[in-house]
Amino acid sequence: MKKFSLSLFFQIIFFIIFLFLFVNTEYRGKDEISLAINSFFRANPLVLFSYLFSTFSFTWLLFPAVLLTISTFFLGRFFCGWICPLGTAIDFFTRFFKKVDKKIIPSNFKYYLLGFLLFVSFFGINIIVLLDPIAIFVRFLTFSFFPLFGDSVKTVWVGLYKIFGEKRDMLSFFYNFMKSNILPFRETIYPLAFFSFFIFFLVIFLERFEKRNWCKNLCPMGTLLGLISRFSIFKRFPKGLCRDCGDCKNICPTSFDKDVLQKEECIMCMDCELKCKFKRVNFIFNVKPELNTNFSKRRVLITSLLTGYFTAGIFNFFRDEHKSKLLRPPGVRDEREFLKKCVRCGECIKICLKNALYPCTLDYGFYNLFTPVLIPRKGYCEYNCTLCGQVCPTKAIPQLSLEHKKKEVIGIAVFDKNHCLPYAKKVNCMVCEEHCPIPKKAIRFEIVSEKDSEGKMVELKKPYVVDELCIGCGICEYVCPLTSKAGIEVFKTKELMRSELYGSYGNTKISRSKIKNYC
Amino acid sequence: MERRNFLKFVGSSLLVNFISSNISKASEPKILALAEGRDYEKITRDVINALGSMSRFVKPNDVVVIKPNIGWDRTPEQAANTHPLIVKAIAEECIRAGARKVKIFDRTCNDPRRCYETSGFNSLFKNLKKVELKHIEFERFKKVNLNGKFLKEWELYDEALSADVFINVPIAKHHGLTTLTLALKNIMGIMGGNRGYIHRNIETALSDIHSVVKTHLTIIDATRILLNHGPQGGDIRDVKILNKVIATKDIVLADAYATTLFGKKPEDIAITVEAYRRGLGEMRLSNVRVIKV
Repeated sequence: MKKFSLSLFFQIIFFIIFLFLFVNTEYRGKDEISLAINSFFRANPLVLFSYLFSTFSFTWLLFPAVLLTISTFFLGRFFCGWICPLGTAIDFFTRFFKKVDKKIIPSNFKYYLLGFLLFVSFFGINIIVLLDPIAIFVRFLTFSFFPLFGDSVKTVWVGLYKIFGEKRDMLSFFYNFMKSNILPFRETIYPLAFFSFFIFFLVIFLERFEKRNWCKNLCPMGTLLGLISRFSIFKRFPKGLCRDCGDCKNICPTSFDKDVLQKEECIMCMDCELKCKFKRVNFIFNVKPELNTNFSKRRVLITSLLTGYFTAGIFNFFRDEHKSKLLRPPGVRDEREFLKKCVRCGECIKICLKNALYPCTLDYGFYNLFTPVLIPRKGYCEYNCTLCGQVCPTKAIPQLSLEHKKKEVIGIAVFDKNHCLPYAKKVNCMVCEEHCPIPKKAIRFEIVSEKDSEGKMVELKKPYVVDELCIGCGICEYVCPLTSKAGIEVFKTKELMRSELYGSYGNTKISRSKIKNYC
Repeated sequence: MERRNFLKFVGSSLLVNFISSNISKASEPKILALAEGRDYEKITRDVINALGSMSRFVKPNDVVVIKPNIGWDRTPEQAANTHPLIVKAIAEECIRAGARKVKIFDRTCNDPRRCYETSGFNSLFKNLKKVELKHIEFERFKKVNLNGKFLKEWELYDEALSADVFINVPIAKHHGLTTLTLALKNIMGIMGGNRGYIHRNIETALSDIHSVVKTHLTIIDATRILLNHGPQGGDIRDVKILNKVIATKDIVLADAYATTLFGKKPEDIAITVEAYRRGLGEMRLSNVRVIKV
């Protein structure tokens, strides 16, 4: 009988928890969502380090990550072999690859990569999270797998309607159960769906060349935990291969490239202990320090510092017209601060009630890649919803009370009188005014009598925006019945634009009316 | 039969039919029931019974669609949606009259999940037998040939079209474009496609739809009415408590009467006027018998 290892058992448990949390990152009738929903990110040491490096501050939200980092000092890289869902997925897929024995990634490369990414963070550009293993997996699920899955089920469901008509309702109990517990409410197609899939695919494809290739040779999180695990006191004995057996070399997924166990790469799966024919292998606590270095620390440090410094500056470019449409989720006031904290995990995008949030594409510059942008023409910010702030692991999107959120300015709506029907075509419309959620209406209208295109006098209701009340939720742009470009559009306010250069307006005392001036 | 005789026969039968139907119309005076009270379920049952019980509309084994307004993510106090208790009372009356199934739905403006939740509908209709509170499924919109003055065709919801009985249950409230939104406008909840399009000629469009879709019973929720900043409201100060419910077979009449609750005349509302002109119902309140319960 194949022996069932404890690490595999925990891998499956954590994988199920991970999927459960992922599927439940969705509005299910409650205004509040459990804080546990983003635990995989808050317990994530890489997120912790990138946060520390880029903001020079600490948040108690990431306390679980501190615990995990500390336990790595004692137990080694157990995260990789016991918890990491991407690792579990890799372990699952590796059997489908015919191995080609070729080392395609130089073994020291990962140190340069991690060092480079950390220093880029240090100089203000937090892109390390783009390569976070959990984020890679979540983005793959959020942007490609889950919409595809939802869309496939939906297609079948719609197909049944086309065949059976109303008789399909006999199955509706089953479908409604799926819909309210598993499936996404809307089958949104996201930009970067293919790109997210492609990154995930590459990570898996690396298995062709080596087992746990990604974990061993690239993963910045693994590298970071590996560096810490060098101090770990939980050790394998014997350190090397036994002369008479050497099976460990084949059993071990990561660390027996050489004849001595590479402690930094040991993911604590403990398969060697389980499968040892002679019961010789043991994992024991031993405080005696033994630090062997197999790379030049100084060279890595200097190289990554230099590349980090010079690269940090070149990620910032993007075109100004995109800037004025780069609307952030409610509560984000300081663009620079936001970018430093944002994990690019896609949780806010997944949970967004009306699918207003989308991941930024390269149009918005490399630095903004995968960060959330609100696209009002595709979905608007629901007035009574505060979910994005709740799921954000680092509170890059602040968690606001409902009262506060209803006043938070995302942008400001501006009429385009060349398109807007009452102005351009002299016909009544007012769909935007109807939908404006502000109790006093941020869109109002004046009644005027004008000649229409045929010279007939008509009574027209002409809408206008009350700047002091508009919060830029975007429902007006969303519902505008014009088929192509909307007659009203939301832009960033002057102060939000400025925050990119001079920091938050939240800290200075600018009156609300001044904030609202659109530039 | 000879051709001449045949034509005589057909002609005379058509004439008889025409006269008799007109006589029956004339002999049945327009009735509108109005009830007032704090117990919304009771006053709803009262207005229905004043019209002669639900079994006059719902026959055993019928499928009934109740179309309330659940369009907004607002609480019942904010008076943007039909009060769920009124809908509940109607649904129960339908079941008592022998309905096979009662379906309740609305194409919402805000997120449907939030609307159904905040409006109080979700919690109230969870365990009611034979009553289904459903979300709109977009594949079910069917292109319908309207041949109207403004709308030639439009997508309408199949379940509303195929129902044996269609009951329209709006809430009476203010509306920026149309001054008030009542039963005639509530039909927008079964419209598919880009609904905002019809705003440019809304009174004609709505009459076009009502010429095709028959409403069997209209019950207007005027327990709380929204006087300003409609149709969404949000400010309790814009809400006036009236504790009234109106019921009638004639949808135009329902709207015309509800208008007076706002201190306005039926002629002030273009939608009502257009529907009356198109022969969809009565708007002259002098021709109406109001039964107050």
